[in-house]
Amino acid sequence: MRRSPSRVLSSGTTRYVAGRLGQALLALFGVVTIVFFALRLSGDPARLLVPDGATAADIDRLRDKLGLNASLWDQYLHFLGNALHGDLGYSYVQNRPATDLITERLPYTANLAVAALLLSLLFGVTVGVITALNRGKWQERVLMPIVLAGQAMPAFWTGLLLVLVFSVGLRWLPSTGYDGPLSLLLPSITLASLSAAAIARVTRGAVLEQLPLDYMRTARAKGASGFRLVSRHLARNTAIPVLTVAGLELANLLGGAVVTEVIFAWPGLGQLTIQSVSARDFPVVQATVILASAVYVVINLCTDLLYGVIDPRVSAGGKGEPA
Amino acid sequence: MGRDRTRKAVAAMAVALATAACGIAPATEGRDASTLVIDTTNYPSTLDPGQQYDTDSYSVYRNIFDPLLRRDPKTNELEPSIATSWSQVDPKTWKFAIRPGVTFSDGTPLTAADAAFSLNRILDKSFGSQQYANFSVVSAASAEGPDLIVRTSVPSPTLLSYLTTLSVVPEAYVKRVGDKEFAAKPIGSGPYVLASATAGSEIVLRANPTWWGPAPQVRGAVFRAVPNVASRVADLQSRKADLVTTLTPDAADQITRDPKLSILSTPTERVAYVAFNAINGGAVNDPRVRHAIAAAINYDALIKNLQRGYAKPINSLLSPLAFGYDTSLPDNRYDPATANRLIDEAGVRGATVVMATSPSFNPQIVQAIQADLAAVGLQVEIRNTDQATYLKKVQAPAHDWGAVRFGRWSCSCLDADGVIYPLFHTGTIWSSYSNPAFDKLVEQARTVTDPAKRVELYNASFRILADDLPGIGLFQDYAIYGANSRLGWTPDAQESFFLTDMKVS
Amino acid sequence: MMKRLRAAAGVRLPLAILVLYVLVAIFAPLVAPYDPDTTTLAQRLMSPDAHHLMGTDALGRDVLSRTMYGTRVSLLVAVVAVLAAGIFGVALGVIAGWRRGWLGAVIMRLVDVVLSVPFFLLAILVVAVLGPSLVNVVLCLALVRWPRYARIAYSTTLQTRDRGFVRAATATGAPAWWIVLRHVLPEVLPVTIVVGTLELGLMVVYEASLSFLGLGVQPPTASWGSILSDGQQYLGSAWWLATFPGLALFVLVLAVNLLGDAARDRLDPARRTDVRRSRIFKREVVTA
Repeated sequence: MRRSPSRVLSSGTTRYVAGRLGQALLALFGVVTIVFFALRLSGDPARLLVPDGATAADIDRLRDKLGLNASLWDQYLHFLGNALHGDLGYSYVQNRPATDLITERLPYTANLAVAALLLSLLFGVTVGVITALNRGKWQERVLMPIVLAGQAMPAFWTGLLLVLVFSVGLRWLPSTGYDGPLSLLLPSITLASLSAAAIARVTRGAVLEQLPLDYMRTARAKGASGFRLVSRHLARNTAIPVLTVAGLELANLLGGAVVTEVIFAWPGLGQLTIQSVSARDFPVVQATVILASAVYVVINLCTDLLYGVIDPRVSAGGKGEPA
Repeated sequence: MGRDRTRKAVAAMAVALATAACGIAPATEGRDASTLVIDTTNYPSTLDPGQQYDTDSYSVYRNIFDPLLRRDPKTNELEPSIATSWSQVDPKTWKFAIRPGVTFSDGTPLTAADAAFSLNRILDKSFGSQQYANFSVVSAASAEGPDLIVRTSVPSPTLLSYLTTLSVVPEAYVKRVGDKEFAAKPIGSGPYVLASATAGSEIVLRANPTWWGPAPQVRGAVFRAVPNVASRVADLQSRKADLVTTLTPDAADQITRDPKLSILSTPTERVAYVAFNAINGGAVNDPRVRHAIAAAINYDALIKNLQRGYAKPINSLLSPLAFGYDTSLPDNRYDPATANRLIDEAGVRGATVVMATSPSFNPQIVQAIQADLAAVGLQVEIRNTDQATYLKKVQAPAHDWGAVRFGRWSCSCLDADGVIYPLFHTGTIWSSYSNPAFDKLVEQARTVTDPAKRVELYNASFRILADDLPGIGLFQDYAIYGANSRLGWTPDAQESFFLTDMKVS
Repeated sequence: MMKRLRAAAGVRLPLAILVLYVLVAIFAPLVAPYDPDTTTLAQRLMSPDAHHLMGTDALGRDVLSRTMYGTRVSLLVAVVAVLAAGIFGVALGVIAGWRRGWLGAVIMRLVDVVLSVPFFLLAILVVAVLGPSLVNVVLCLALVRWPRYARIAYSTTLQTRDRGFVRAATATGAPAWWIVLRHVLPEVLPVTIVVGTLELGLMVVYEASLSFLGLGVQPPTASWGSILSDGQQYLGSAWWLATFPGLALFVLVLAVNLLGDAARDRLDPARRTDVRRSRIFKREVVTA
């Protein structure tokens, strides 16, 4: 991480952003190259596509058609050349442009990710603040285990449990698929239960750090009249670590919540990822990786820039040390 | 000041979220009582019937297109569909009379030329159809007036079987819009038309008012892709779905507890089997060890306990429904005493055999077999890799994939040729076995059209297999569907999924 | 009195639980009532009773015995994955922070590369390419998680190397490796240990998710993850399959988190009356 001394919205910001994007492009190139070669180390897409009774010649014919009989190096150059023109190739399985496939799936994943993030922020920050202000009291002893339970239960378990209770038992909510906003509830709760713990922990830590500081002591001494002051200062000073973690969670969620999407038959990037990896649908996997990396970079950049907006004392990149 | 900033930050975030959280609309259309909601495992890989022939794809597209021939769902006998009658002109030439007066849903008439085009595009190498293997015996298809003429390179006894999987596509439309557009907006002559498709999620079909057959009772169908079996069960239980496919026997037990739900199941042409590496399999290179393993497996326990009765015992690696099944062979027998004796005779007690498998194959059966073999003194090391890696390993010419593998086989052809030839003929991608006498018999059976002669050849082949035992048929598998009791349907052995066969109340 | 109780709840209870888990893991063959892999198809899916306290699974195996043996595998996976990722990550992070220059840049770009691929995508790729096995699951988790430690080590090293006592040591001409060992690592390790403790529970959950996707440990080996994922399709019919290993996992995560909190308080340099170091420490732990 380069620590640019530039301030947000100052002339240096542009240079800072450009530098970050340049580095990101380099990282992206690395990711894509590794994935390209790693994918081709195991498994042959053609074998998965032909019927059981196919002969070796049938498989070879299909490999020719898919361009898999060229040397690895040629395939790589070909891929890079096309990628520069925005062409990430055609899905072997669906015979459609890989970029089309991922852009169709992106809105579903984005909806789910945002809903999950909002829920986990709501829950995580509340629990974090309550437990920090009541350190060692019963509130902490009750709330922390609940949040941790969410983290301790794998999504395939939480998700199905929710479905069994709210869809099969009570018939309140749809079980799988997307039929409107209500469908969003169960999968986003499932996802939020996984990330709420991280957010609660960060919030709690950040609030605890502020409590012994002078302004807090003063504010507390002033009693109720100081409440506004407390909340304002507290909010500003805890926002940065919380935002850092929230940004990371969002980036991860946007990469596709594989297990949750499988359980809820959610047509997002997570399902596409696991399906195209197991089908060795190389172009789609590559496209997914590129998209996920790009999303990660952009979100990181956004959180970095947001630091400056929230707290002008912080220079862009100064606290841009997302763990 | 500070609050102002906070407000700005919140506003910025809200904008970011709002832009992210838009752009999807619920796919559900008005779903009335005559519309079926069907959960399958995967979204179809294509709606172009010339491309893939996998269950999740053809379950949808075979309702949009008409097949050249079809099978009676009860007797499995060939029946007319787009071809009203057919005859053999000479050993290598077949003539099919194409049904007159059929139109595609865009109004263009269906002709013999369309039928010929449908077959020829699969054979066209630049098209790269995955079904090429099923029709590779065909040398040319052409239209002669109202008739379709299909020529084969050698006399082919299985041609008609494979032609039941051939859907007739509109030549003019395909050529006009191109293959890619055709896969996105398929037009067929079948009982249903595509109403809408949400990629990766669901496909909606609606009855085709101009279909030539009797109007189907199911007026619409929604195919949803739900990969997790427990989620499919939940969909059925919560009344989200009317029909779900590919259930496990345990899930079936769970469904029968709900009085409003029922299980529809049928024996299929799919068999569960164990195949050996008889070329480079270590201990199992010895036929005695293979026979020992065959005697060590508790078939009844597999069928009764694991399959919960959704399976039938068999005597060879073929479904009893398929042509060439020899009923005179004895069924597999669980006989641990014999197994122990053979293990000792071969001197392999305590030896370790590697069992190759993938997550696609029921891990419960794999582990049950492992336990059965351990009971007679053979240690089984399960080597589980994902399907792509598994295929690459098992099909590698080096035959170094291990000693034993578990699998399921279905050729969608109801014929021994589609099973034992690819599995055991020397040099095929699946075969790790070689016997020239067997090779000769199955090669001959491929090019003889006289059924009596073929039965004779297959009986001889199965006798060789019973002696050499390069593989064991474990049981005939059932297709298990869960359904709301408002649905009336008898699934068929070929696992074709014709909505026209279904009734709703 | 209250204070002591609280301290007990804070450290002693979770520590006792952890010790118990380790003991069960080590002595599983002695305490488990049955062989974990013996299948009895006639007794499959039996609900808990006097013979099988946690019931039997879909192959008639004793769930209690499998959960006990599963403790072995799950703890092993978690501990080895955390250690491997931690050691590798700290080593690279310290090198990058100490040497800076091109080597530091290369290492930190590598960190970016790994971090920018979503966890599951990377995990699926790694396991699909290497094939699922106990060793590869550990390898996969370590490969995916080391950048977290590298980042912490990197920024802590950067902050430490400019501090007075390190400069003083450099001025005396002490060799770099000695300074790193003597002055830098003691600053880096406390944060890493706290983060590592918190990661332990997460590794078990990740292993479970890999099992669910068919990429976990090999059958018939029992791990909590494999039992949980096998039990998933029986959640509505045989609740005991997933419930007991799930509880075991929950208690572990709870204990490990309490310990992590305690370790943070214990290792916090604030106790050593250095406010600046304490703040750095807290920030690193909190955002890790």
